[in-house]
Amino acid sequence: MLADFQQALADMTASPRLCTEARFDPDLLKRKYELTEREWLRLVAIVQHQGMECACIVYRANRLAPLALNIPKTCKALGSELRAVVSEFWDKFPETNVHFFVETDRFCRFLKAKMAEGWTFAPGVEPALRLESAAVAAALQESYTEQGAEA
Amino acid sequence: MKQKHPAVGLLYNPATPDLIKHAGSLVEYLAAMPDRLWFDFGPKAEGRRFHRTLGAIEELKRVAHGRVLSGHGIGMSLPSAIPLDEEFVAAVATMSQDLGGFRWYSEHLSVFLTPRGSVPNAQAGLGLPVVYDEETFGIVASKLRRVREALGCPLLLENGSFFTPVPDMEMSEPEFLNRLHAEGHCRTLLDLHNVYVCWRNGGPSLSEYIEALNGDVVGEIHLGGGDDFAGFYMDSHSSLTPPEVWQAAFDFAPRFKQLRAITFEFQETYYERIGSKALIGELERMHELAAACEVEVEAAYAR
Repeated sequence: MLADFQQALADMTASPRLCTEARFDPDLLKRKYELTEREWLRLVAIVQHQGMECACIVYRANRLAPLALNIPKTCKALGSELRAVVSEFWDKFPETNVHFFVETDRFCRFLKAKMAEGWTFAPGVEPALRLESAAVAAALQESYTEQGAEA
Repeated sequence: MKQKHPAVGLLYNPATPDLIKHAGSLVEYLAAMPDRLWFDFGPKAEGRRFHRTLGAIEELKRVAHGRVLSGHGIGMSLPSAIPLDEEFVAAVATMSQDLGGFRWYSEHLSVFLTPRGSVPNAQAGLGLPVVYDEETFGIVASKLRRVREALGCPLLLENGSFFTPVPDMEMSEPEFLNRLHAEGHCRTLLDLHNVYVCWRNGGPSLSEYIEALNGDVVGEIHLGGGDDFAGFYMDSHSSLTPPEVWQAAFDFAPRFKQLRAITFEFQETYYERIGSKALIGELERMHELAAACEVEVEAAYAR
């Protein structure tokens, strides 16, 4: 059915891992979603299309945008660890929150929770996160007041 | 005001007021995105869902004074196999009233909201391609009827830019758009750069695509530029309009007798990199294009 087709396409775009799995085992899509034969064949063709890789890259770039805009120093301090951390974050929260401050605040909390669990990051991460997460929390609070800048 | 030529303008963003300071007389028209003039806390928000950005709205009102204003959104995700977000539509209608009434309203012909997301208002992260068949046509057409009723102005749907074509469809995208118009649902916002993006990534050429479109469906044109990345071409709104897109614009736009606006899109984070001088050059060329387009006045668009 169309809703499952659309959801499968969204899930594959959000997950290069699902794309790889679906390429090796196309029947996985049938097991995971309620699809007509035609819809399944369309998805199999799409996941094998070279543009799928680009769609996955754009998805990740779009999801990175609120973080890069609102907590640039934290992202920079994470350095080579950024990729793994955001991947884990996006696995946990597969859908973007349209409100950039909510999305960034959610990531800040996620990162703080990891630190509380004992994860260690590069030395610059903690001070940058402390400073920028406070600014994000303030901006989020302001977004309730109708006095903030353009969304 | 009766319009003989399409208006020339910009998709409004926070850099637009500065550009207008330098080139105000070249900008006759603005398209404003309601989605960027509020914070949306989602359908299950505690308390009010939409919190407007009053400072930004006032600035837009000031800049839009004396100019044609339309609304341009991405939040309705009309092809999604989910019910229409009535709260969102009502918020757009209120925004339109607050801004003096959109002359028309355009949305994207892409799937942005996912039907089975784990959160309300779940975003796909980018515009996903649409299956052009009877089922999708029915979904889009019925939502357009409702949106038109709520907004009280003509509607346009914009062709998207995709990296992965959907195979084995019942209709092509131009056929789908032609039919929406033929059955009185909406006109087309023809984003020429999006057609170019699809072509660069393996889709039909600009001329193939536009030839398949009924000229009378086009109510607005989008111009803009992107960049190359990882062997693909992106619709990043980061540069000036490519020569091939200009060529198609001059070749085909004079055939669009219902064309009301020619709009340039750029992303504000690229404003300094593109530069106001280059953007003024772009606007001047858009006026040359507008001068080449003699349009017919239709009551629904004219005021």
